[in-house]
Amino acid sequence: MNNDILLSARDIEKSFSGVKVLKKVNLEIRRGEVHALIGENGAGKSTLVKILTGAYQKDAGIIRYNDTEVELNSRHDAIKLGISVIYQELSLIPTLTVTQNIFLGREKDTAGILNKKSMRKKVIEIMDYYGLSVDPDAIVETLSIAQRQIVEILKALTFESSLIIMDEPTASLSSKEAESLFNIINNLKQKNVSILYISHRLEEIYRLADRITILRDGKNIAVLEKGQTNPTDVIRFMIGKELADTSGLGRMRRNDKNVVLKVNKLSCKGVFADISFEVHEGEVLGIGGLVGSGRTEVLHSIYGAKKYDSGEILFNGKPLPSSIIKNIRAGIAMIPEDRRNQGLIPLLDITRNIAAPNYDRLSGRNIWVKAKEELAFCKEAILQLDIRPNNPEIQVMNLSGGNQQKVVVGKWLMRNLKLLLVDEPTAGIDIGVKEEIYNIIEDLASKGVAVIVVSSDLKELLRVSHRIIVLRNGRIIKEFNDGFVSQEDVLKAASGITREEAEQFEQ
Amino acid sequence: MNNRQIIKRFQRPLILLILMLILTILQPRIFPTASNFKSILLAISIYGVMICGAIYPVLLGGIDLSVGAVAALSGACTVLTIVNGGYSNASVIEGVTIGLCAGVMVGLAHGIIITNFRVPPFLITLASMNIVYGITQLLTNNLVISCLKPKSFTFIGGGRLLGIPFPIYIFLSMALVSYLILNKTIFGRSVYCVGGNPVASVLSGISSKKITVASYIFSGFTAALAGIILASMNQQAIAKAAQGYENDVLTAIVVGGTSLMGGEGSIQGSVFGALLVGLLNNGLRLMGVPSIYHTVIKGAIIIAAVAFDIYSRNKNSGLVKFKKSAARIGKA
Repeated sequence: MNNDILLSARDIEKSFSGVKVLKKVNLEIRRGEVHALIGENGAGKSTLVKILTGAYQKDAGIIRYNDTEVELNSRHDAIKLGISVIYQELSLIPTLTVTQNIFLGREKDTAGILNKKSMRKKVIEIMDYYGLSVDPDAIVETLSIAQRQIVEILKALTFESSLIIMDEPTASLSSKEAESLFNIINNLKQKNVSILYISHRLEEIYRLADRITILRDGKNIAVLEKGQTNPTDVIRFMIGKELADTSGLGRMRRNDKNVVLKVNKLSCKGVFADISFEVHEGEVLGIGGLVGSGRTEVLHSIYGAKKYDSGEILFNGKPLPSSIIKNIRAGIAMIPEDRRNQGLIPLLDITRNIAAPNYDRLSGRNIWVKAKEELAFCKEAILQLDIRPNNPEIQVMNLSGGNQQKVVVGKWLMRNLKLLLVDEPTAGIDIGVKEEIYNIIEDLASKGVAVIVVSSDLKELLRVSHRIIVLRNGRIIKEFNDGFVSQEDVLKAASGITREEAEQFEQ
Repeated sequence: MNNRQIIKRFQRPLILLILMLILTILQPRIFPTASNFKSILLAISIYGVMICGAIYPVLLGGIDLSVGAVAALSGACTVLTIVNGGYSNASVIEGVTIGLCAGVMVGLAHGIIITNFRVPPFLITLASMNIVYGITQLLTNNLVISCLKPKSFTFIGGGRLLGIPFPIYIFLSMALVSYLILNKTIFGRSVYCVGGNPVASVLSGISSKKITVASYIFSGFTAALAGIILASMNQQAIAKAAQGYENDVLTAIVVGGTSLMGGEGSIQGSVFGALLVGLLNNGLRLMGVPSIYHTVIKGAIIIAAVAFDIYSRNKNSGLVKFKKSAARIGKA
């Protein structure tokens, strides 16, 4: 019986600076099984994976592999045992060939001279055995992401891995490419390789997984066998019942004031297609969907930071130019997703950061900066947003995440805003500051500013939005504009399960 | 805490003072004289003028290696125009204008190529350094072209005003102009923004292309101006005139605390760097150190300055600490 079990992790615990991230988590993987690990962002999935691959050390618990207790102190330990991981960001060297990448760091040689033929032969053997295909001499740079993934899998297989961990493997694949990945996974399974499959996309998990382990807040919530589950249960397990009931509901309402922004059939090949929506004065439109569903790209296209192929964007009835400078002058602002790389200039102080988009006002038509006004404006933003420490001369790289985000918000407060685009406004920010940011958004909306919020945090999306549209694979698949909406509803739409399908499962 | 801040603030003048003190003790008769100080200032005024523009590409995270070659080109253009124009005062004005325009054109080409084709600044300016040098050789037929008159031309590099060499005035006023641009104008603010984070700058509505093109143009302009001063000082034009000046320029900029990664640095720092290099050159010469050792010592100073810059950056961003703790984990 026990021979069936490849890996068993019992009572795994892990804390980071006093915060328990994993609380007595169990995970059991059988030989030749596709095991799905799911849970919301921050549920502890990646921490668990990192412990299994030796990147982190567990604080407590036992890991048994092939029925012997093992200690995983480094990535190397895990590889020796036969545990490989394929990350979202692939770790191949683009300028080398497939074979060179696969044997990187453990090249075969005869008396110090590379034995290219035997390495190439080995790669082909493995490909034949597992039914994979990719040109062993191709330069990795020239391969598509899907093909690079195959190279990663091949690399894992040459280590004689018996467990391959895949972290969101389909996030950047087209549906056709995903299909062929699923075939590969089935082949691997038949050859008795176990797969730990991590994904937000429930439809994939339903297709592939033999069993599902669900984590929430660092705890095991359930282990479900294939056939004994339905999507509604899974989502309920992920979110937690108490939230799904009442407290997490968002009340949707329509707004019939002037239309500020009208997006009509906006398309960008391979990214998003046929996007149409409107935002009214004083309205907060939420955009939900999984990472990679095209949400950020739509925002960037509106802002003028990304080109699109067809469709039109009307701002107060007039077509919007694709120029950031002109759009800012017209009263559009964006708070980008990646604070450090897109929102701030870390070396400069708070004043210079807040002033950056405002020099058209801080100088008029003159070339000289009105330094006094610049400083006064910054001081006012610090006061209004309660940025701490309140010294305008502090370099923003020395601020905490929440205060950095306030600086990004502060950049736009002096302007006569008409439309604010917000992308993941509170990622990596503590709860207190989150609330302050929501208040700012609500305050702006009550003054008549149209706001679009993109967020992966469902609670947040329901909290701030008046209406929600959900994107999947670059298309709008659902709009919530009426009545009460729960996290469950949004998650179902985002992961591709419609209510009808869910009901079918339940029957 | 307070003491440390005071030391940090006056660190640079302090270094200069200490260096001067050492040189005074070593060479009490020759070093601390007005004429020696004048000669130090005169010696740094040529590349000092170059620094005032060349700092802009560096602040953007780029570099302009062509300043020496551009100076030679502009000197040659100016001298040739004057010689062909029969040494008239009008031809001096014409020559200076053409010389400056040549620098501006090279800078414009740099800016356009860098912004539109995303060629690394290091490569494009390295290539254009050779191209410009070649053009200057063609223009001068690889000969020394001397130009001993008119006085309006020779005054630029060789004249004196109130007993002080005229190039020093040009250097100081260019430094002032550059300081004002960097600290008091929107353009200056934008240079720091684009250098600090080009993506965030573009998303904040700063036209990083325009800023980049203008920066390389200004760098070309000051290089050309320096070339004219040099040609006037030597009363001749030659393709090899300012060869290797880019070394002194970059040494001064880097020693002055401007980060090669962009976004950080000041004209005051670079002027300090120029003074430091000038003092060192002067001191080494006064002490009779053979000139072959000068480049070795200057090279060592660049390495020390860059290493210090990167170390303090990493320390500020917590990377040094991280490395140490990572090493500790590795050991455990």
